[in-house]
Amino acid sequence: MSSHGNSSTANDPRQPSAAKPFVQQSVAPQDLPVDYSGFIAVMFGVAGVMFRYKLCSWVAIIFCAQSLANMRNFETDLKQVSMAMMFAVMGLVTNYLGPRPPKTT
Amino acid sequence: MENGPCYSLLHLLALLSLLSIFLSHLSRFHVLADSHFEGFDADGEDDDESLIHNTLPLRSSPLTQSDPDPEPTPDPTSQDPDANQYSEPPSRPSSSSDLPKPSSTSFEYWDEDEFEGLPVEQPPLETPKIPENATPDDPSSDPKTAPKPIAATSPKSYTVEIVCGSFLIVFAINYFTGKRENENIALAWAVKFASKDSIFDKNFSLLGVGDGDDSPLLLKEGQNVFKFHASGRRYCQGLLATMELKSRHDLISRMYNLVVPCSDEISFEVYMNDDAMDHLVFAVAKKKAAKWMQKEIRDLQRFANMVSPPSGRKWVAEELAVISESKEVAGDLITEVVLEQVFGEKAFEKFGKGFISIHFSDQQPGTHKKMLLFKFALPDANSMADMTRLVALVPYYIDLVGRYRLSTQARSKTEITRMKIAQEAHREEQNARQEALQRKKAERKKLLEEAESKLGAEAIKRKEAKERARQMKKSMPRVKMTRAH
Repeated sequence: MSSHGNSSTANDPRQPSAAKPFVQQSVAPQDLPVDYSGFIAVMFGVAGVMFRYKLCSWVAIIFCAQSLANMRNFETDLKQVSMAMMFAVMGLVTNYLGPRPPKTT
Repeated sequence: MENGPCYSLLHLLALLSLLSIFLSHLSRFHVLADSHFEGFDADGEDDDESLIHNTLPLRSSPLTQSDPDPEPTPDPTSQDPDANQYSEPPSRPSSSSDLPKPSSTSFEYWDEDEFEGLPVEQPPLETPKIPENATPDDPSSDPKTAPKPIAATSPKSYTVEIVCGSFLIVFAINYFTGKRENENIALAWAVKFASKDSIFDKNFSLLGVGDGDDSPLLLKEGQNVFKFHASGRRYCQGLLATMELKSRHDLISRMYNLVVPCSDEISFEVYMNDDAMDHLVFAVAKKKAAKWMQKEIRDLQRFANMVSPPSGRKWVAEELAVISESKEVAGDLITEVVLEQVFGEKAFEKFGKGFISIHFSDQQPGTHKKMLLFKFALPDANSMADMTRLVALVPYYIDLVGRYRLSTQARSKTEITRMKIAQEAHREEQNARQEALQRKKAERKKLLEEAESKLGAEAIKRKEAKERARQMKKSMPRVKMTRAH
């Protein structure tokens, strides 16, 4: 196995003429792995708004953070993540500054 | 994007609800402000006093310092000037000096009030109590919505906020540390195996993911996925190494990986030239993984079977299993060198810890048919040298497979099986195409029928007449006509 590491030109396996530059495979948006954490964030955000559960809104924010951290492609994923973030923040705002002030704060 | 319109609708909804919340918030403040005036114009003195007790201590202390200021308020006769006073809050300090000193009785009264209202910090807490008692249905619904029990007199608990806020802070810290850790591992691998005078530099002329000499070696596709490309070697078009590391940057995945074990992996894909690879379907993996591969991966399933260790020669370690089309091919690909270096009993104990699988095939599903796949586990950043022998397998096997030619017997067998499977695949394709055509025809018919049924009865009659005329024309002999000049 180590013989191929020899620098003798006769054994040199390199072929510069055959070199091909790297072509990045573009993934269609449908094939992208499902953003589960973003989906869960939206679910919790909606639950937090509907049931006035503070914990739900905070958990939604946490899952939004996870979705942001796992964002691979900046342009395509940012829209979905920002959508989930809006829901979570809306839930939090509703819970804290809502028309019926919760007795806890 | 398909989700576009849905998301824009949700966007609108979110904005609208935010607006409504803020509007109601504003209106709530407005209501509170009005209550001051209401309370002051109220009938009983008690209402005045209660509101004064509540509102005055809540207001800033300058109020209590200027004694004469609130004095007129308990006096019912002097409501008007007081109303004026309260209607102009900014001018309160100045108005206090303008007002004449009241009688001693009201002064004493105010002193009592002062000492009543000031030291005890209960008025602010009492205010939530009062509306609470006034609206008995609210506390009953509150325990249902708020999971944490809140005592009115005890300090307000911020458990949820503290816990979640600290989790978010830890999450952010972990994001940056995890990101750096992953980058360090990837860079350590690149330094060991892809930098100058390393094994890949000696084997490939073009390294990295860009153009030219100064191209970056690694492509970062997410905080835990790194890609390395190499090209310019005999027998193959190129090599793509993908490092999939643990999600160290994501705290939730990290906690999940404490329960479900995960490891850093690197997988090499070597795209062989068309003329460089003969009919080969071959795989080596640990026993469980090999069984799974033989069942799940399509080309292994169709072409290859598990190969039992042949007698009379050295074979791979006990933990490994070999899948191949024929025993001959398996024997030819597992050479003495390989056994001695990696796959033999002794060598595997020492160096084979990071080995996951190899899979060579000229019938790979996907765009590239002739590919060699290697999968290894990555050691941590400081012990990259443990992987040297495994990585050395890659160029060795490129050359071995590139040079290898099947014997005529084996070749004929493989040819037969491949012809069969190619025919089957062809037939399947034809069937699929026919089904698609039939479906289209049926859909067109349905559309036509629906369109016809929509039209009125007259239209149907007209259509039928037309069709009859057309058929008559067809059945009648064609008579040619020319124009007379």
